[in-house]
Amino acid sequence: MTFLELTNIRKDFGPVTAVDAFNLQVTGGEFISFLGPSGCGKTTTLRMIAGFEKPTAGQIKIGNNDVTFAPPNQRNIGMVFQSYALFPNMTVAGNIGFGLKIAGTPQNDIKQRVDEMLALIHLPNFGDRYPYQLSGGQQQRVALARALAIRPQLLLLDEPLSALDAKIRLELRSEIRRIQQELGITTIYVTHDQEEALSLSDRIVVMNKGKVEQVGTPFEIYNYPQTQFVASFVGMLNQLHCTVANAAQGVLLYQNQPINTGAALAYADGTAVNVLLRPEELHFGNGHGDNQLTGRIETVSFLGATVRVQLNIGDTTLTMDVQNERQLELPRAGQTQVVSFPPHACWVMSHNGSGQ
Amino acid sequence: MKKGSLWSWFWVALGAIYLLLPLTGTFIFSLRAKKDTLSFVAYQNAFSDPKFLESFGFSVLMALLTIIVSLLITVPTAYWVQLRLPRLRPVVELLTLLPFVIPAVVLVFGLIRIYSRPPLALTGSSFTSNILLIAGYTVLSLPYMYRAVDNGLRTIDIRTLTEAAQSLGAGWPTIILQVIFPNLRGALLSGAFLTFAIVIGELVLAAFLARPAFGPYLALLGQNRAYEPAALAIVSFALTWACVGLIQFLGRGKTDRDRGLAGPG
Amino acid sequence: MAQIAQKDAPRPVMAGLKRANISWAWLGVAPFFLFAFAFMILPALSLFTGSFVDRQGSFTLDNIIGLSQPFILNAYWLSIKISLVTAIAGGLLGFFLAYAVTVGGLPLPIRNVLMTFSGVASNFAGVPLAFAFIATLGRVGFVTVLLKSLLGINIYDAGFNLYSFTGLSLTYMYFQFPLMVLIITPALDGLKREWREAAENLGASNWHYWRYVALPILLPSLLGTMILLFGNSFGAYATAFALTGGSLNLVPIVIGAQIRGDVLNNPGLGYALALGMVVVMAISIAGYTALQRKTERWLR
Repeated sequence: MTFLELTNIRKDFGPVTAVDAFNLQVTGGEFISFLGPSGCGKTTTLRMIAGFEKPTAGQIKIGNNDVTFAPPNQRNIGMVFQSYALFPNMTVAGNIGFGLKIAGTPQNDIKQRVDEMLALIHLPNFGDRYPYQLSGGQQQRVALARALAIRPQLLLLDEPLSALDAKIRLELRSEIRRIQQELGITTIYVTHDQEEALSLSDRIVVMNKGKVEQVGTPFEIYNYPQTQFVASFVGMLNQLHCTVANAAQGVLLYQNQPINTGAALAYADGTAVNVLLRPEELHFGNGHGDNQLTGRIETVSFLGATVRVQLNIGDTTLTMDVQNERQLELPRAGQTQVVSFPPHACWVMSHNGSGQ
Repeated sequence: MKKGSLWSWFWVALGAIYLLLPLTGTFIFSLRAKKDTLSFVAYQNAFSDPKFLESFGFSVLMALLTIIVSLLITVPTAYWVQLRLPRLRPVVELLTLLPFVIPAVVLVFGLIRIYSRPPLALTGSSFTSNILLIAGYTVLSLPYMYRAVDNGLRTIDIRTLTEAAQSLGAGWPTIILQVIFPNLRGALLSGAFLTFAIVIGELVLAAFLARPAFGPYLALLGQNRAYEPAALAIVSFALTWACVGLIQFLGRGKTDRDRGLAGPG
Repeated sequence: MAQIAQKDAPRPVMAGLKRANISWAWLGVAPFFLFAFAFMILPALSLFTGSFVDRQGSFTLDNIIGLSQPFILNAYWLSIKISLVTAIAGGLLGFFLAYAVTVGGLPLPIRNVLMTFSGVASNFAGVPLAFAFIATLGRVGFVTVLLKSLLGINIYDAGFNLYSFTGLSLTYMYFQFPLMVLIITPALDGLKREWREAAENLGASNWHYWRYVALPILLPSLLGTMILLFGNSFGAYATAFALTGGSLNLVPIVIGAQIRGDVLNNPGLGYALALGMVVVMAISIAGYTALQRKTERWLR
């Protein structure tokens, strides 16, 4: 059942169109991420949902109410900002209870709710501290508690983890997901970090230059990108320029080498296409599928769990990720290496960017 | 809070009137020296008075000397405190706040008490009295000069620059002349212009130490003439505007607090 | 042996260098401390000791007690009154002005002009300022004459007098409210947009935001600056003297008269007066600094 619906949302700032033709339907309890590079319009869209910007065109409905032009303080939406935005003159308890105080809730109820929230974010004794006494991660947790204390119908998060250290980011990431699932609250999460989006979301909206590129589950976005942009923005990507040799049998030609994609192609014979390959789908040796390529190793980077190898196969360099094993013999730069990959690892995309 | 609401315009209008009315009034008043006509007679009279040039020249000289003394005292101090003696910082900053705690009239009281009797008699001759005056002016300008230099040093991260220069083989003279001073130039000039503005119009120290400065000259003029004081008030305002304008120009992008223009904070 | 000697050799040289560096540093800051001692600490101390000494040079508390005589008390009261009035009025006007050009959303050029003008006006105190107000609101001043000829109102007949407490207050305001504008504007800039948005999000109206978030955050800065304005006015001499010629018995004026010619018939009393003034200024500066520090901690 659709809980949040954005229809044909468009936002212009003077002559610049920041968001265009944005359509989305969100089910209650879903965790949606807006993912994209800086300036793609994800924050602007979030702010329109919150009410801090008015759409130039289109409609926003929450529940069954049209809130397109409702002021922000009447939407009952909780928001978490990148810079935490805790009120410096109030204690943690004061911050968390602020929304309830404004609404005129009795003191006892406020205290009870604040204690609940403090327990939820695992900071039970921090009520009397001031924001400047807290670390970044703690401040963000308090900000989350503050947003949730008012029992909002929607939770919005604007790049909440960007200002934090890597380790804290990981901890807090799972905290946020845990709390969201515990409360079952519909959540929109804006980020430019694809790992965050992939690990947290039920669905991801990939945006670029104000438009929606693709909406789908993390698995779909990663493995079945619909556009060139989505394919290259999410995860690392290898691209081979091929031509269609035999569309019916799904065979392509790469530099006079046949590539078997395993399924029929919807392109005419002779069309120029790109084959997209994820680094983890390429393997050393010739035992992993009937597609083989040979090249010269350029660099080997040991990343811990993965070994990243750059392989020069002539007109392009492939990046491949090999899983680390203790008895792995690390290849060396300059060596000749054969790599192979199965047909289903191939994702074919036309030159103008629509995928198959 | 709508953009540019009515109340905002109201307050700005009120502020503008308060700031501009005395200036316009003074200017028009200064043009009325000759009966029934507007003329610059008052300005001519004021500038042609020999005592004007004498006292103004005297004050300019005192200002320049004060700036030099002030720089000689504050720049090394700010430099060494930042670089080597950070524990001295609270002491130094407290000392630079003292001039606010000891207003000019109290300062001159104390200076006279100590330096008018042997063995420290400085009020005997004009030369030594001038020294006392310059010392007093340096005290008055100390907070502003120190803050300008200190902020300037902090902005250019003097410690890192010095270390980088040293690692590249530079000796102390090179560091001071080619690394520190060029980067500090803006801050030093700001401090200098502020000091200049303070000294030029200063009354208390000059009057009580009986020095022939511009301030006492103005005060005397005010007791005897009507239009010339107004003319000189306009000139004085223009001079202050020039100084502040230059300070703001030099410090493009920094706040007025950083440039030392606003209070002791 | 030779090897041990070689190992030890660098260290004394390094230590020597370090010691030399610190010595240079102390040498470098010496002039400052000497100057501060000679021309700030010594004069202040001499006033301090002078307050506790009688004509014969022996210790006495009579001077301090003498501060309670009516003439002196009136002087302090007058100074406090004018400082309070101009600090509060100047503080409020300055705050509303600063508000108008920051949060109030007026165009940037207006803000820049206001800042420049405030920088000039706050430094314009003294004799020229007094002249400017005499030329504007004096008996034949520009505005006085204008009101008489245009509206038939004679403000002097109506009881206004520039050379009075009210007139001096108006004159002091000229440099007080611009000082507030200069100091409070950064604090207003420091009000993060996200605080307002977070508050709105949580259901706050405009009034709620100002009452619970913005004003409490600004209060230390506002209060601190008003205290600074108080001190600024309390210590002012030149403007008051040039405007009223010494007829208004403010503490600085009395001290000035005392320097000129022992009008109090008791040098020690003069020094006690000066000491009292330093105490007031010290409290004012201390209050301002403490409150500024609080603001900086919050707005970090």
